[in-house]
Amino acid sequence: MRAKIKIIHASGLENAVLFSIALLLFNLIFPKHDSTLLSIVNEALVFFTIFFLYNYLHQFLSSKTDTPISLVINVGILAALLYFILAITNSILDAEDGRVSVSFVNSLFSILLVFVFMGAIVYIFTTFRELFYLRQKKDHSMYFKTMLVFFALSFFSNLLLLFDAALDYLRDAFYVVTIVLICLNSVRVAWIAFLTKRQKYYLLILAIILSVVFGMVFAQVSDSKTMKQLLYVFSPGLLTLFSLVAIYGAVYFGVIFFTTLFHLPTAEAFDRKAEEVSSMMDLTKLITQVFDFKELADTVTTMTARVSNSDSAWLATKIEKGIELNSVHKVGYIDAENISKDILSLVEESYDRLEIVDCSLLNNLTKNNYNQYKSIAISPLKVHGNINGYLFAARNQESTFDKEDRNAIQAFADYAAVALENAKLIKESIEKERLEKEFDVARDIQKKILPSKIPSTETLDISALFVPAFEVGGDYYDFFELENNKLGFVVADVSGKGISAAFIMAEVKGVFKSLSKIIFSPRELLIKANEILNGSIDKKNFVTAVYGIIDRKNGKLRLARAGHTPILICSNRTIQKIQPAGIGLGLSYSASFANSLREMEIQLKNNDIVVCFSDGIPEAKNSNKEDFGYDRFESLISLNCHKNLEAVSNVIIKELSLFSRDYSQHDDITLVLFKWNQKQ
Amino acid sequence: MADFNVNLRNIETVSVIEVKGYLDAHTAPELENIFNQLLDKKQFKVVVNFDELKYISSAGLGVFMAYVETMRENNGDIKFTNLKENVFNIFDLLGFPILYEFYKDEKEAVQKFNLQG
Repeated sequence: MRAKIKIIHASGLENAVLFSIALLLFNLIFPKHDSTLLSIVNEALVFFTIFFLYNYLHQFLSSKTDTPISLVINVGILAALLYFILAITNSILDAEDGRVSVSFVNSLFSILLVFVFMGAIVYIFTTFRELFYLRQKKDHSMYFKTMLVFFALSFFSNLLLLFDAALDYLRDAFYVVTIVLICLNSVRVAWIAFLTKRQKYYLLILAIILSVVFGMVFAQVSDSKTMKQLLYVFSPGLLTLFSLVAIYGAVYFGVIFFTTLFHLPTAEAFDRKAEEVSSMMDLTKLITQVFDFKELADTVTTMTARVSNSDSAWLATKIEKGIELNSVHKVGYIDAENISKDILSLVEESYDRLEIVDCSLLNNLTKNNYNQYKSIAISPLKVHGNINGYLFAARNQESTFDKEDRNAIQAFADYAAVALENAKLIKESIEKERLEKEFDVARDIQKKILPSKIPSTETLDISALFVPAFEVGGDYYDFFELENNKLGFVVADVSGKGISAAFIMAEVKGVFKSLSKIIFSPRELLIKANEILNGSIDKKNFVTAVYGIIDRKNGKLRLARAGHTPILICSNRTIQKIQPAGIGLGLSYSASFANSLREMEIQLKNNDIVVCFSDGIPEAKNSNKEDFGYDRFESLISLNCHKNLEAVSNVIIKELSLFSRDYSQHDDITLVLFKWNQKQ
Repeated sequence: MADFNVNLRNIETVSVIEVKGYLDAHTAPELENIFNQLLDKKQFKVVVNFDELKYISSAGLGVFMAYVETMRENNGDIKFTNLKENVFNIFDLLGFPILYEFYKDEKEAVQKFNLQG
């Protein structure tokens, strides 16, 4: 793409150079255009040289339209150069004898001079063209093209005089029409509005100087004999073109001068609006990128102060107790905090929309004195009707905040509110992710802690069922193979949830696993477990547990209970609740733990079912927050006790989930069942 | 989530905490705040009135466990009164009645403190 453009540029320049060389040679060979044919060929060569030069410069200049002032300055330099040459030649050559020698006119030097003139007017004209099209919203190219046509017509109309001198009215007519078109096209100066105030002042001075310079150039070329003759002899059309461009320059810069003059009063407002728009765009970009609210708050306060013409600005967000400053711009932290608090204390609730506070009023009402400020604007940061904070802008001059200022402050406050909300949401989602990860870890630990194999035998059928809650609870059960065909088992519940509960659970497993190998009395074992846990679990936490030993030879069950839910024994459809005294592990490390703990021995009968469970079953809730309770639980067991253990446990879980289907499961559910089958 | 309300009042030298609604992991910090206030004011004689409490979770129980030691070390105690049957059952199952004093009526508990001096 770039290569292609280069080629076009080069070819434009090539043609221009080619024609200008041809023109140069032609004029050297034929110093005088005596015949009509020579004149026509010469005019054609001049025209094409100008045309190609124009095309080339147009491509060259169109890339520089971002800085119209520098284009104007270039024109100014060229115009000054032209005037300088004209003035010099006039004063030197005119003074000599008033007549220009033909030899001079045809000398190489004079031809080069004409070339300089030609180049200059093409450059100036091309610049006018670029300025004409700059920042035009509608397509006005028709006007300009018509003018171009009349420029060409004026150029060639001089040739008509060669045929009949009476045709000069036609030349004059084209000339006048071109001037009219020049005037019409000169009013297209939309680009002035987009200059900054400074640039406008600059342009104002430039325009008046240039208008005068072009006027003088026109006057010089009309008055002087030498240059006029020089150009006329070289090419009559070029002289016409030259004077037209000089007129164009004088008119155009005159128009620019007055337009700029009228734009000056609004220049400041325009500047501010432009600044506001660009600041907003910067801010919008920032919102999508910045995760750090502090950084964004700094940008907001800086921009607010600048755009709303305030001396200071600061941003405060609401916290539990009052407000917290996030960013201050050209104001001390303490001052900003005090002022904010005082302003907020002026109203009972909160500022629902942008308000302007008069500081003299504030000084009267509060003990503090804020001499530095005259008025302060306060704007709430509102998202979904909630106010999350405030944006303040303070001024020390008398001038009040006008509508534009207030709109700007409001807009920045809105942006800050959205950004604040975003930052909060991001923080929350990170926290949520972290919690979910934690739950995953806890669930993993729990899975690994629970036994993978259920040690069922012919005489003792066992079923164990565990349903984890969303937030991992601390349920734990385990079986230990003991000597003499005995089986130890534990069902425990660690208070608390999540990863902390999972860790305690892991410790509890270790304690029971090791103690089961050395202590064969459930009561003694629980007392020892309580001692070991002393100091390793938090004051707030406790562990409830049931520990039992079943003798698989004779169906004797010995058990002790440390604060855990009772054990149910279903014997021939009647339920017996076994609840020996005992307090939870970790509730007390004094003698009262051992003193209160009781051990029981029960002789199981054939087909008896022993039910151990966690409080997740009786405390499961429905949408009315009613407990599942012991009655429902017990009747379910007695109704189904003739079935095999899997079926009993399935029925219970089914009924339980049916009961609490509209309420989320808060706690783990554990159900461990034993069935004693006496050998026949 | 669940509604919970806690109210603190004084009867002579005894602080009475009334708990209402659901005391669980989410609402327990509110009760902890009250206990912290009492410690700041060096008030160690506490009666907790459960008259309007509907539910207590293990996290709720944990609050009392966390503070009772400090209260007892400073010649005070935490005594529980006016428990509904379902709430008492939870305490009972865990063996709390062995470690804490439970009363049917608030007055009884306050009197007990006064007798102890």
